[in-house]
Amino acid sequence: MIQTVHIAIREIKLGFRNPWAYSFMGLFALFMLCLLMINAQGYVQGYSGITGTTLNLILYLLPLMSLLLGSFSLTAEKEDGSWELLSVYPLSTLSFIIGKYIGLAIVLLVIVSIGFGAAGILGYVAGSGFGLSTYVQLLTFSSTVALFFLAIAILLGTIAKNRWQSLTIAVAIWFFAIIGWPPLLIATLGFMPYPMIKPAVTLLTFLNPAELSRLFTVVKLGGGAILGPEYYEWIKWIRQPGGSFGFAAVVLVWIGSVIAAAQLVWERRRLRG
Amino acid sequence: MKIMQKWIMAFILAALSITCLPHLINAEEQALDLQAIINEARTGSTIILPHGIYEGPILIEKTIHLKPRSGEEVAILNTSNQPAILIMADDVALTGLIIKDEQLKKQPTVLIQGDGVLLDQLHIHTGSFGIQMRKANHGQIQNTSIAWAGHVPERPVKLSDKGNGIDLYESNDNTFIGNTITSMHDGIYMENSDNNLIEENHFELLRYGVHCMYTKGTVIRNNVGNLNITGAMIMAARDVEVSNNTFTKQSENVNSQGILLFDAHGTSIVNNHVEGNRVGLYVEQSTMNHIKGNTMTANFIGIQLLDAENNAINSNQFIGNVASAEARNSVHNQLEGNYWDSFQGIDLDGDGRSEISYAINPFFQSLIKAKPGFQLFFQSPGMVFLEGLYQSQRQLWSVDASPLMEPSDQVRFIVPTQTLKHSAAVGAGLLSLAIYLIYLGVKRR
Repeated sequence: MIQTVHIAIREIKLGFRNPWAYSFMGLFALFMLCLLMINAQGYVQGYSGITGTTLNLILYLLPLMSLLLGSFSLTAEKEDGSWELLSVYPLSTLSFIIGKYIGLAIVLLVIVSIGFGAAGILGYVAGSGFGLSTYVQLLTFSSTVALFFLAIAILLGTIAKNRWQSLTIAVAIWFFAIIGWPPLLIATLGFMPYPMIKPAVTLLTFLNPAELSRLFTVVKLGGGAILGPEYYEWIKWIRQPGGSFGFAAVVLVWIGSVIAAAQLVWERRRLRG
Repeated sequence: MKIMQKWIMAFILAALSITCLPHLINAEEQALDLQAIINEARTGSTIILPHGIYEGPILIEKTIHLKPRSGEEVAILNTSNQPAILIMADDVALTGLIIKDEQLKKQPTVLIQGDGVLLDQLHIHTGSFGIQMRKANHGQIQNTSIAWAGHVPERPVKLSDKGNGIDLYESNDNTFIGNTITSMHDGIYMENSDNNLIEENHFELLRYGVHCMYTKGTVIRNNVGNLNITGAMIMAARDVEVSNNTFTKQSENVNSQGILLFDAHGTSIVNNHVEGNRVGLYVEQSTMNHIKGNTMTANFIGIQLLDAENNAINSNQFIGNVASAEARNSVHNQLEGNYWDSFQGIDLDGDGRSEISYAINPFFQSLIKAKPGFQLFFQSPGMVFLEGLYQSQRQLWSVDASPLMEPSDQVRFIVPTQTLKHSAAVGAGLLSLAIYLIYLGVKRR
């Protein structure tokens, strides 16, 4: 436990001395402010043009940031030899991985907070921004997306041998999860018999954290009706307070299993030397 | 001499009031049996009812005017399965009555079968239809409120349990002004009824605010609809005018929209404000309609065209919608001079209109028609990307040839705005926490 805390604190210190973290922070803050500027509506509440755009732009930026920061942090341990030093101490792989995850999660959440904090304050000054519930909903969305993709990044950093490999795989994962997802599903599921499509899409959505978080947020913002009659029961369920707990449970299970997988792989490599 | 004149004038006036003016009956001495009072009244008389609760059902077979004594409350309570009030005569007028008819039943609360009936300032609480008009023409219903009051034992009330607020069948040339209809099935439902005027009414928590079926010449003007499934449902109708209405927040249902045209031809949809709905204006299988000067703001889809042809869509504003427009299989529509905030045009000659046209991509609508399961991808980043790639058969797309560069006037948003203070406060908290954490991270021990 105390080892996990030490690793996390070390990770936070490394994270905030990493110029990458600041360039991502600047990028995220800048683009949150740009969103405010293109928004002519003044006060924004619920699912509308500007919230839809915000969701999509966050989906373009945050997963890639999380994937790169997270996977680089782990491959750096291997490349710089610091892991070899750490592994001579009685430090369990699980403590190491969880410590890494918590430390990086705090760095990412700080980046998100800076962006949203700036947008909240400047939005008030400029008289154009999000109403409280929409603001909190988008903040939750960003944090969840960051945490989801950080878990994937941890697994990726475990598997990849060096920074270059993790960069290549990170970009591939980002492309398929964010941009290639609808074309991929439309192309592959198009061959399936009609009644199979909806259950297949539903099931696959649970595998793509970007899509899962986006849909949860769209429904919570009141836009569920646009997803069509096919998903009516899901929408009704998610809209209740129970839907939020269900989503939180899915997030925990999802991140937990990816971290567990990362721990297994790392442990195997450690034993093999 | 002057005194003499005054006396003569007074005598003439008294004589006139006895012979010419409608007969006034003071019902105070009668029991609360309203039917008996009506039976005794002469045709053409005005019955002034004192404060009290009167028993329904009531049958009116002669021309009378029923109203409460000034400032007093008169309620008609009906517990039977008959209409609380059945009007079979022409030119009957009811004013200022409260009608409580909370039984679940087939018969409406007020049934009108005569022409020229006036209902003014009624308050109807119904467990059935509010007002039904059957072959009733030239009537007027104004300043009346109709609300659902029925209770279904042992289960929640379903939409299908409820009747319509005002329900017309083969009734023409009626006027509905300033009524408020809430929590019913449809607000005003018209079938085979022509040339009715619907003005300045308020519709809330209904299935459809106004619903036209097989009608001609209906005018729907200056109405307000909020939180219904659909504001104005124009089906199988001709020459309908829908103008200056406001329909907001009709987004809860998967079939919600502000205004829907289905199989509607030659209607004019002018200067309406449609905000925060699932689809602002939904046009399907409709032709020759004029859609002009409307504002669609903050809807999920601004305008949706499905198999709609030869419509003129001009000078509308589409602002802050998640998707400005969706279209499928809609050709020969004349789109010009609309403002689309999602579109960046180029104005070379300075006439305020873009030289680049705005084309509505049909990819998503065609996809979900074939496979509705993919509707989950609505405006997802990948779907937006894919739509950008899809360019086939561009000549068949709906295209705005000269979109406006700027919105034509000040955009108004009706849905109430609150303060941005709260999100600024949360933002400030986040920012200070984040900066503190960074400080902790970089400081040397």
